[in-house]
Amino acid sequence: MRLIGLVLLLLAAGLFVMFGTDPLGAVLFRLDPGILNLVQAVVQRYLLPMLWDDVLLPVLEAPAFVAPAVLGSGFALLGWMRARG
Amino acid sequence: MHILKFRRFSLPESQVTPEALVFNRRQAMALGAGMLAAGPALAQQAGLPPAMRNTRYAPGRAITAEREVTTYNNFYEFGSHKTISAAAQRMPQRPWTVKVEGMVETPREFGIEDLLARMPLEERVYRLRCVEAWAMVVPWTGFPLSALLAEVKPLSSARYVVFQTATMPSVMPGLRQSWYPWPYTEGCTIAEAANELSFMVVGAYGKLLPPQNGGPIRFHQPWKYGFKAGKSIVTIRLTDQRPVSFWEKIQAQEYGFWANVNPAVPHPRWSQAQERMLGTGESVPTQIFNGYGDFVAGLYTGLQNERLWA
Repeated sequence: MRLIGLVLLLLAAGLFVMFGTDPLGAVLFRLDPGILNLVQAVVQRYLLPMLWDDVLLPVLEAPAFVAPAVLGSGFALLGWMRARG
Repeated sequence: MHILKFRRFSLPESQVTPEALVFNRRQAMALGAGMLAAGPALAQQAGLPPAMRNTRYAPGRAITAEREVTTYNNFYEFGSHKTISAAAQRMPQRPWTVKVEGMVETPREFGIEDLLARMPLEERVYRLRCVEAWAMVVPWTGFPLSALLAEVKPLSSARYVVFQTATMPSVMPGLRQSWYPWPYTEGCTIAEAANELSFMVVGAYGKLLPPQNGGPIRFHQPWKYGFKAGKSIVTIRLTDQRPVSFWEKIQAQEYGFWANVNPAVPHPRWSQAQERMLGTGESVPTQIFNGYGDFVAGLYTGLQNERLWA
């Protein structure tokens, strides 16, 4: 658990160094311009339109390092709590 | 002493017919006797001047139910799903202006009411073929793009016409995706723009064009896939540079500049041989140029090296 957290935190640091505060969506768009459109179509047409607007879009609008930083911190915290028993 | 005498024929100012209604009636009558045989033709809703149906463009298919057309929409500024009609109601339709600028003698900005009043409105029943392989048949009200361009007098050096859609971040959730190349931009050649089929749409089913369908004004070229038709247009620019459109910037492999309908050229992810009719669900064969080849095939003579079908 702590290892996963550490890897995610390193990823967050790497993303911050490479892309600064650019939104995650912008970074993904740069890597593959078509991928977000495809994911959005699948989510909004076959799952739930609001899932994109209210859940995924805020994540994509945040700086790219935020999602792995938050997840990594969560995993690291959980790992630390489990290690303490 | 000045005595006011009211005669029998006197009318209050409030009962005078609006000038726009009078002049558009004259324009509609001028369309000719052939059009007088048209079917349900006169727009009824207040706000959309009367418009006679032009039977020259008979679609050869039944008109799609209004409810289907107004509740199943692609309008990416409001989302990637088809049920954006409720969200689109938040887009204000008035005041609305359309700038026509660039390589023209007299750049102008038209208010939508001005366009409704002065343009030669008519109703045309056109097929619409979406690149996603569904189709519909819609009675649009509008005017030829060439009539609008005549007002600004394009320069001889202008080669392309570029359309830009409104950007209203407060009501368009799609614009939050700042990485996309907003505003939605589309374009065509000046020859395509001058073709008689190129139509500026301000109404549908005899009513003002609803926001989810691109109100108050959109573009439509029925021989091309639907994504070429910009909705809720605010700027039309004439240029000598070929524009790179919104979808071309995102997925050039799938959505090109020309995008003429062709059943023999599949989309990279699906066939274009058949189309599903909105409403009935019937699957029918797609026709080259969406059935409008007699009007437009000549536009593409000598362009065999272009990617005309995507």
